[in-house]
Amino acid sequence: MSVEDILAAENELTHLLGAQQAVVLSTRIRLARNLEGMPFPGWAKVPQRKEISDRCVEALDALPKFRRGHVLRMGELGDRDRAVLVERHLVSKELAAGKSGAAVISRDQTCSVMVNEEDHLRIQVVKAGWHLRGTWHIAEQLDDALGGSLKLAFSDRLGYLTACPTNVGTGLRASAMVHLPGLCLAGHMDKVSRALNQDGLAVRGWLGEGTEAAGNVFQISNQQTLGLSEEAILKHLGGWIKNVVEQEWNARRKLAQEEGEKFVDRLARSLGLLRSARLLTSSEAMNMLSHLRLACDMGCLPEERRHLVDRLMIEGQPAHVQARAGQELDSDGRDRRRAAVVREALKDFPEVVQPTA
Amino acid sequence: MSQPIKCSLCEEAATVHLSQVVHGNVTKVHLCEACAQKGGATDPAVFQLADALTAASPAPTLTCPECGFTDIDFRKRGRLGCPSCWETFADALGGLLSKVQHEASHVGRAPAGTLPAGQLRRRLDAARREMEKAIAGEDYESAARLRDEVAELEKQLTPS
Repeated sequence: MSVEDILAAENELTHLLGAQQAVVLSTRIRLARNLEGMPFPGWAKVPQRKEISDRCVEALDALPKFRRGHVLRMGELGDRDRAVLVERHLVSKELAAGKSGAAVISRDQTCSVMVNEEDHLRIQVVKAGWHLRGTWHIAEQLDDALGGSLKLAFSDRLGYLTACPTNVGTGLRASAMVHLPGLCLAGHMDKVSRALNQDGLAVRGWLGEGTEAAGNVFQISNQQTLGLSEEAILKHLGGWIKNVVEQEWNARRKLAQEEGEKFVDRLARSLGLLRSARLLTSSEAMNMLSHLRLACDMGCLPEERRHLVDRLMIEGQPAHVQARAGQELDSDGRDRRRAAVVREALKDFPEVVQPTA
Repeated sequence: MSQPIKCSLCEEAATVHLSQVVHGNVTKVHLCEACAQKGGATDPAVFQLADALTAASPAPTLTCPECGFTDIDFRKRGRLGCPSCWETFADALGGLLSKVQHEASHVGRAPAGTLPAGQLRRRLDAARREMEKAIAGEDYESAARLRDEVAELEKQLTPS
């Protein structure tokens, strides 16, 4: 199994249809775990990292969830393949940057476990749309299964022991990837971000820590991992996401009502531009695709086209464009190729109409 | 002309100057714009970090017997060396934890079959509190789930 197979396979995030995906693109659960008696990856010597990797990969490979899945060792992959995995959120930039990391990915790409990132194990489960409980249950089962075959570092007082004090305890980071064009257009995003920060939630851009919010897509996650039960963490995040989704819909409806023709014009222009551009930068594509996604949510474009917009957001990223072209491309070459892919995908899109939502 | 003040965290010229007064003791930290933004100039942890970095203690005072990691390494990296480091540096980490995590003890899940009694009791207390909150907030769906959790924990705590 290779990165090529991952690109070719249909998966939830790029191919699933469903009304639940308006506003919330995906739900993610991450658990940080470590082996007892082994130094953390950042402090381990090369042979120790090898031993950690071998033990973890062996245990993961034996789990039914990863049957016929992918075992990818970063040291064996080329730059472009690693960049594709980062763009798909299957591995972090940090894991991709090192040689001793590995990723074990389930066949359906919903579960991926990073080995030798900051911690020995980073269990990740991602579901398309808003499914906090379902996503958590899969992660919980994986955690139990792994705890059965590996002795995990755990203390009665501090919970799961991690390399960084910001993850100790539950090791749980729960997050939602949300698309908030309404709040951004209305100029309310700073206010919402501040309110979330003040109540212990982090707001980040599309590719996580330190990235900007291309395409009005934000990742909202809990920060505190110690002193709260998993149940309490999920409930706190869930309550806020519900609130943010409501505010986003209010902002969208208000914009559509107050702007009238101008609102539809903005969405229609983006479709026109995407359909005729010959050169398209990554951030330009993301911002225009954000308008198309908004149009699908609002009934200005058919809702069943939304997954195609989501797929273009993922496949319009630089490494994806090059992987699809099968060659390294310079910046102009990527912009040309991206524009061609988008034009082709949107050629039979219907015209933008008045909102119904 | 006098030398510009250097950033306490890197070698750039400092443009942000902070003074903190605790019980009459004044601590000053000078930061360049980049470090100030990165650390969040209003975060009290910046003072702690700057203290740690500028304190003239070239020799480590604590070393983890398991992995050889020292307190100096922690100051440099902000990450620990191995699970045993949590015990070795427990005192130093306690203060940091209450800052970054607000709470200093775990109430979440544990590896299957290893939950000690103290941990079970804390979880039970937490689940009961959350259940009461859920009932008060008329969130009966969560309350029912928590009631099952409480019952399960009580069962585990009763010696069979």
